[in-house]
Amino acid sequence: MRTEDVLAIAQRELDTVVRTRLLLAFAAGYLGLTVGLAWLVASGSYVGVVLDTVTPTEALVPVLAFAVGYRSIVADRERDEIDTLRTYPISRWRYVAGVYLGRAVPFVAVLLLGLGAVGAITAVSGGEKISIIAAHATADSSLLYLRFVVLTVAFGLVVLGVALLVSAAARSSRGALALAAGAVLALILGMDTGLAATVTGGLVSPDGVTWLLALSPNSAYRALVFEFCVAPIGAAVPVGPAVVPSVLGLVGWFVATLVLAGRLAWR
Amino acid sequence: MAAPAATDALVSVDGVSRSFGDLSVLADVTFAVEAESVTCLVGPNGSGKTTLLRIVAGVLGPDSGTVQVRADAPRPVGYLAQRPAYRPQFTVRETIAFYGSLLPVDVDADAVLQSVGLAPVADRRVGALSGGMVRLLGIAQATVGQPPVLVLDEPSSGLDPTMSRHVRGAIDDLGAGGRGILLATHDLGTVERVADRVLVLDRGEIVASGGVEDLLEATDAADLAEAVPALTRPTDEIEVTAGRVGEADRAD
Repeated sequence: MRTEDVLAIAQRELDTVVRTRLLLAFAAGYLGLTVGLAWLVASGSYVGVVLDTVTPTEALVPVLAFAVGYRSIVADRERDEIDTLRTYPISRWRYVAGVYLGRAVPFVAVLLLGLGAVGAITAVSGGEKISIIAAHATADSSLLYLRFVVLTVAFGLVVLGVALLVSAAARSSRGALALAAGAVLALILGMDTGLAATVTGGLVSPDGVTWLLALSPNSAYRALVFEFCVAPIGAAVPVGPAVVPSVLGLVGWFVATLVLAGRLAWR
Repeated sequence: MAAPAATDALVSVDGVSRSFGDLSVLADVTFAVEAESVTCLVGPNGSGKTTLLRIVAGVLGPDSGTVQVRADAPRPVGYLAQRPAYRPQFTVRETIAFYGSLLPVDVDADAVLQSVGLAPVADRRVGALSGGMVRLLGIAQATVGQPPVLVLDEPSSGLDPTMSRHVRGAIDDLGAGGRGILLATHDLGTVERVADRVLVLDRGEIVASGGVEDLLEATDAADLAEAVPALTRPTDEIEVTAGRVGEADRAD
């Protein structure tokens, strides 16, 4: 199966990101915030830095993902390049695959750069361990942080899919920006609040919250971080969705958003 | 799109109709485009030209009717959009090379640019091009992969006289290479110079077709600027359409 067309589109997306000053500024801002935060909380503890950065990460990663992805398809539509591309022997699915791949590469590179810097800062910083793990100092390890890196990248890739869907659904860049802002707020604040309200409102039983909260990418990500990066040292972790629903939730979001993006990109 | 049966036409449009909501844009349009010919589509703003071209190019589907294109090439139809635009961060050569990479054949980007006279600006960024050069780039893009059919929407729109002459020459050369060209334009001077056949579209219907001389004779007009208005119905007021911008004819 020919892949040159998908790779060509991916290469164009990658080059576009690298050549767009605003996106480079966004990446620099993200790295600055991430590294700055790591310096502030540095305690030499990997689990400590995970606990201190997971909440800001839940906000910063979606913001970066939408900055990278929200114009990816709508800009082609505004330029009539979608129409032009449709006269070439490439399907809507291969187009979206190429766009996603091309945007994902620089996005993941920035994530890894930031997370790598945080890990390095943690490795070289010393000082008093935070009390939550003081009794389990020997359980803290870079492996737990590596899991955090993998989970954060996976979370970011899911949110990038949402950003592509927003771009495919919007009719203009301005509309895409508005949708992106709404989606970021929904991811960071709205979904968890809404889902929690269904429990407090009696619509869903407390037992059902395990599966329900997994519908929120942020909740699912958070639950997996606590399960794989914090719980192994024996620390108490907040109640949240279980592992299987969380993984299924993230995979479901990833697949659904890219399929919908493919349907809408060439409408 | 299927290959046409028992016809020499590269493109056969048969009974095509298209509406956007309650707005009927095309009604039972039928015509053919022959190889090694230039067919010009003219008509007043809002007559359906852009919609028809998009349907022939395959980027929009008709509500009814069929479009058949001889599919002997990896890319049967090359298309120039009404308002061509490309990523400003890329050079002219990179833009053509990108489109060439979408095809399962080798495309010489420099040769493509040479054919439309853009070789001197191959390394210039698209964002630094004039409007006329962007349109030439669009024509170059339309020829990538040597499609047997070219669909060009307003190829000389907004161009100065020199650039218009240049585009006319490019269209003549492209037509002489065996291609069938369907182009929509308000530039009746270009039509008089390049058209083998003229289709007059008015309110979604073809109201006249023939060679330039045929139309002039039928209307007893000195030139197409007189003939075309005589063939189309006058409007007493500007009609505000209910269609969404971007779906109905846009700049028309």
